[in-house]
Amino acid sequence: MIKALLLRRYWLLKHRFISTISFIILFPIIFHFSITKVMENILPVSSINVAYEIWVFPAIIFFIASSSTFAIIYRDFFDLRIHKISFLPITLAPFSKTHLIIGFIITSIIESFMYVIIAMIILSILIVEPLSWKIFLITPIFTFIYTFLLANIIVTFSIISERIFTFLSVSIFLFFFIVFGNGFIISFDLFPQKIGLILSYNPLSITLSELRNILFFNIINWELISIPIFVSLFWTWLNGTLLKRKLKQ
Amino acid sequence: MEASITLKKVGKLVRDKTILASLTFGIERGSLVAIIGDNEAGKSMLLKVISGVEYQEYGQVFINGLNAQKRRLEVMSSIGFVPHEIDLDPWLTVEQNIQFMGLLYGVETETMNTRMVQLARELHIIPFLKSMVSDISPGIIKKAMVIRSLIHDPNILIMDDPTAFMDAESYRHTWDLLLRLRGDKTILYVSQSLQEVEEAHDRILVLEDGRITLDGSLDKLLGSTFEYHQFQIEFEELTKDLYKQLSNLPKVKNVSRIGNSIHFYGKERNVFFDVLNAATSAIMKDISVKKLGLQDLMDAKYAKDGIH
Repeated sequence: MIKALLLRRYWLLKHRFISTISFIILFPIIFHFSITKVMENILPVSSINVAYEIWVFPAIIFFIASSSTFAIIYRDFFDLRIHKISFLPITLAPFSKTHLIIGFIITSIIESFMYVIIAMIILSILIVEPLSWKIFLITPIFTFIYTFLLANIIVTFSIISERIFTFLSVSIFLFFFIVFGNGFIISFDLFPQKIGLILSYNPLSITLSELRNILFFNIINWELISIPIFVSLFWTWLNGTLLKRKLKQ
Repeated sequence: MEASITLKKVGKLVRDKTILASLTFGIERGSLVAIIGDNEAGKSMLLKVISGVEYQEYGQVFINGLNAQKRRLEVMSSIGFVPHEIDLDPWLTVEQNIQFMGLLYGVETETMNTRMVQLARELHIIPFLKSMVSDISPGIIKKAMVIRSLIHDPNILIMDDPTAFMDAESYRHTWDLLLRLRGDKTILYVSQSLQEVEEAHDRILVLEDGRITLDGSLDKLLGSTFEYHQFQIEFEELTKDLYKQLSNLPKVKNVSRIGNSIHFYGKERNVFFDVLNAATSAIMKDISVKKLGLQDLMDAKYAKDGIH
């Protein structure tokens, strides 16, 4: 199944190669100049004494992963589903709904991973400060965990939404929450204490904060790292059940 | 003969409205079965329930002897489904749409490509295989959907209006293929074209308000009405007395008049000669005889009331 889904993504990519490649190249450049360069003027050094552009680098990578995951999941689980195109025959294939969800999510992770690698190369050229090999090695692994969780969230919204207005409203809210509510571009130290504490325990922000802990302090907290993984696995099963109920299959 | 599809007291509700009401029937392996009925009769829903697109609220569906709900993963490989709506991915080519489904069902690439080309040749769509779906006509897309449903070589083919959007030539090619597959595969289809159903069926199911009201071959369905013929005689002047005289003749059924024309039904052609004998004094302008068909059966008057 994964082979079929991956090949389909490859075909789709091939049919709109120019627009896709343009976005892949433009996204990191836009994020770098509209977020990193602007915030750097406000916070030249992060609260943990790391140059801001280095500190925010993993977050920019997560943004790239978020954008591509959103586009892929939106197409398959919302656009094609509500317009009754192509999605229904896929659900008739001899796979359980959870299996299908896993297939779609893995496909989106693999595709996002490809975009992330390109973004990392582009950003490494744009960033003035030297990036360590650790960043290049560990960031993609955590991007995998982050995308796994985010894809599940988007799948849920895609399945339960029936109207574009609802889906867009939820997506905009999710986008603002990712940008401002997860310590991506502003450290939780700058939030009101209680709110910062609550937000720091959401599985999306745990992934990034644990990545930063490894990159900047060499601290690995397996318990915290496992939280988003287990949440994602449970969520995948939940999405499978949700899809089964939604399709009445 | 062994049943390929079996329904036991299958009921389907949509927002508390009964769409299918306790349907029980079996379909023999390798047979060609057509489902007809009015709009909202539940035809498409019946296909969806059998093909696993939607589950029923009540009863059980068995495919090749397996409970379709409990053993879905085993059952789905043996079903090919062609929905009424066009549902190929518009941003892929026809070939890619078909190959994607083949890969999803685990068909080997070589087998899949050979099968696809063979079916595409039969349906005359080889030149369109590399075309984007968004660039071709609905009739060609519908043929591609038929190929997609056959790419994993299912033994049951379920089709909702398989020849929708097709021109006469495409219609003929599609039915040539389906009739070739008949016997090897169980084919169940819904059609709005009664002529299509008359031409291609082993059995016809007539659905009305979610219930099967008639079931059998065309000859059996026409049953009591099969021997009836519809007669029409146009007179230069059809007087009241003549109309009354002809109406009262024995064996003349359901008499009606439109202007100077008299319409009636009779079981034997002799009835027609009786009428002609009785009307020799009047000048006739035109006469016609028509054997009853499926269209007449579906006409509400005859479907519900029959000929009295």
